[in-house]
Amino acid sequence: MFTGQGHGEAEVSLGNGGASTGVPPRTGQVVLAPASADEAPSEQVRILYRLNDPALSELGLEEFLDELLVRVQEALAVDTVAILLYDEEADQLVARAAKGIEEEVEAGVRLPLGRGFAGRIAAERVAIYIADVNHADILNPILREKGIRSLLGVPLIVEGDLIGVLHVGSLTPRTFGPRDLSILQVAAARAAPGIERARLYSALEHEHTVAMVLQRSLLPTHLVDVAGISAAARYMPASYDVGGDWYDVFQLPRGRFGIVIGDVVGHGLKAAALMGQLRTALHSYAIEAHSPARTLQLVDRYMRTMVEPSMATAAYAVLEAETGVIQLASAGHLPPVIVGPDSGRIIEVAPAPPLGAFPYGTWTEQETVLAPGETILFYTDGLVERPGIPLTESINLLLEITAGASSAEHACQLAVEQLIPTGRLRDDVALVAMHYGALPDSLNIRLPAEPDVLADVRQLLRRWLHRHGVLEPDAREILLAVNEACANAIEHAYSPAPAEFELEATDDHGQLEFKVKDEGSWRAPRGEGRGRGLKLIQTAMDEVEVDRSETGTTIVMRRRVGR
Amino acid sequence: MNLGDVEVTVEDSLIIASLTGEVDISNAPSVEEAIASAIPNHASAIILDLTELEYIDSAGISLIYRLREKLQVRGQDLKLVIPANSPAADALRLAGVAPHLPIMESVQEARG
Repeated sequence: MFTGQGHGEAEVSLGNGGASTGVPPRTGQVVLAPASADEAPSEQVRILYRLNDPALSELGLEEFLDELLVRVQEALAVDTVAILLYDEEADQLVARAAKGIEEEVEAGVRLPLGRGFAGRIAAERVAIYIADVNHADILNPILREKGIRSLLGVPLIVEGDLIGVLHVGSLTPRTFGPRDLSILQVAAARAAPGIERARLYSALEHEHTVAMVLQRSLLPTHLVDVAGISAAARYMPASYDVGGDWYDVFQLPRGRFGIVIGDVVGHGLKAAALMGQLRTALHSYAIEAHSPARTLQLVDRYMRTMVEPSMATAAYAVLEAETGVIQLASAGHLPPVIVGPDSGRIIEVAPAPPLGAFPYGTWTEQETVLAPGETILFYTDGLVERPGIPLTESINLLLEITAGASSAEHACQLAVEQLIPTGRLRDDVALVAMHYGALPDSLNIRLPAEPDVLADVRQLLRRWLHRHGVLEPDAREILLAVNEACANAIEHAYSPAPAEFELEATDDHGQLEFKVKDEGSWRAPRGEGRGRGLKLIQTAMDEVEVDRSETGTTIVMRRRVGR
Repeated sequence: MNLGDVEVTVEDSLIIASLTGEVDISNAPSVEEAIASAIPNHASAIILDLTELEYIDSAGISLIYRLREKLQVRGQDLKLVIPANSPAADALRLAGVAPHLPIMESVQEARG
């Protein structure tokens, strides 16, 4: 069945077997172009044969994907073809092979399930056709940058399990019809088992595989995205050997975020295993609320308890969400860069020894501030070390390339696209970025009516109140009241369907107004708890209006603040 | 990251439960369960220390009330440590419950 999604997007639901059934879908509400009448049946047979060519089975995975993508590109006369594979552990799609958008694979694009073009194909296991990319929800910036106008994608399914997504794109607006969909489905049905087989019986060298698995499983795949603070990262192994580079990102108490980069001296399994230990040690000391300098010192002491001497460079920074202030300590690691819409600077770090280098090493902390809209980027030497080029020159080039980055993801993408040489990598590369998003003057957001969002709402409000110069204890009281109103909205949403509520905050010359609006039906405060919540709101605010109607409840709260 | 956490110290028949982080409707039930299950039957007095707590809302206040009722049934005494000007003190004051609860300034005072 085809269902129109507005803005020129059409969704095509497939039967249970997904693409592997190869059954063309019935057309419904949206009329797609019919198979071109002048296409000879023999041409269709030729295309189908080309996609099912037994000779394809003779190829190794790389050559197989390469050849199949070329044939899909040919058969559909499209500009781009890409395969994204499903990474089960991370619950993300990872770009694996592409024609016409090779950047997507080189940049190691990772996409969440459930949102965006590919994410929805994977989550909902439906084919999706997007007539006009400009009016659709596309998460992968490369698709837009490449100038793709129309997209068609199908899920890759083997024995009922989702393994990835296959999609094609056109640089000119194009209507993809049932014929195009059928061909793409045949290609998906052909590709899926081949990929799965190759994944199971990978011919990769054993130690390399083990080391890669070790390394991958040690790197965090879920990066924070809270109240305008977001993070992104990349790890690229060297071509012939695994290395000891790592990154880490985590949330700390009191609205702070930790960001780590490190590089163990040496290569191979030993370096990868040591990297895992150091990453865990640093993370553990950090969540004990130790300062960045003290955390590095403790990791150094931990290394000194090891039988074999080892060394690593590392940097650890803590960002305070409310103010953008960063505390940074570096153990002989390369200086981070800060980039923004119209700014860029290298954060010179005080010279300090690597971890594990000297007995009784100590480290110092320095402070820097991220302005709203700026991104801090940490990286390992693999990104900037080039034979014959002075390091300072490479770092300046990195700054130039990433200047103007609009997000953490964007900064990583720019750095990888333009600094990672195509072909073999001599050294592994890690980079991690954290973006301090700008807050709008007035807040107006919709949130899922779930208890877990409250902590994020408070984080966001603390930032907003700080930005509007609201001081303690006013800020604390306002935070309590708005949190209660939001909790109230969440408790109203007791329908089984996913519900949302709205939060607005405005500042009219010190007259703050907060509006919390839900769509649940009003229930009288249940028990003492809710009663206390309303009492709290009334005491904390100057004026409170509660409007209950059939369609929902709106609480408006006003408070004048001195600054 | 856990939004909030509980650390329990046992000193003979005195139990000190210290809350850290934040307590709201998302974790109040699990925090309550964690405290209640950490209190042995032989305990005679329980000190709930909110000194380090960074945030508590009305769901957290209800937790305190429920815990107190539960302990009363068992003949156990609950004391709260909430220094003036702490985030917990603000919440209890705004909710209008501060005068009705046994609140001390420090663990030392609560012991005495």
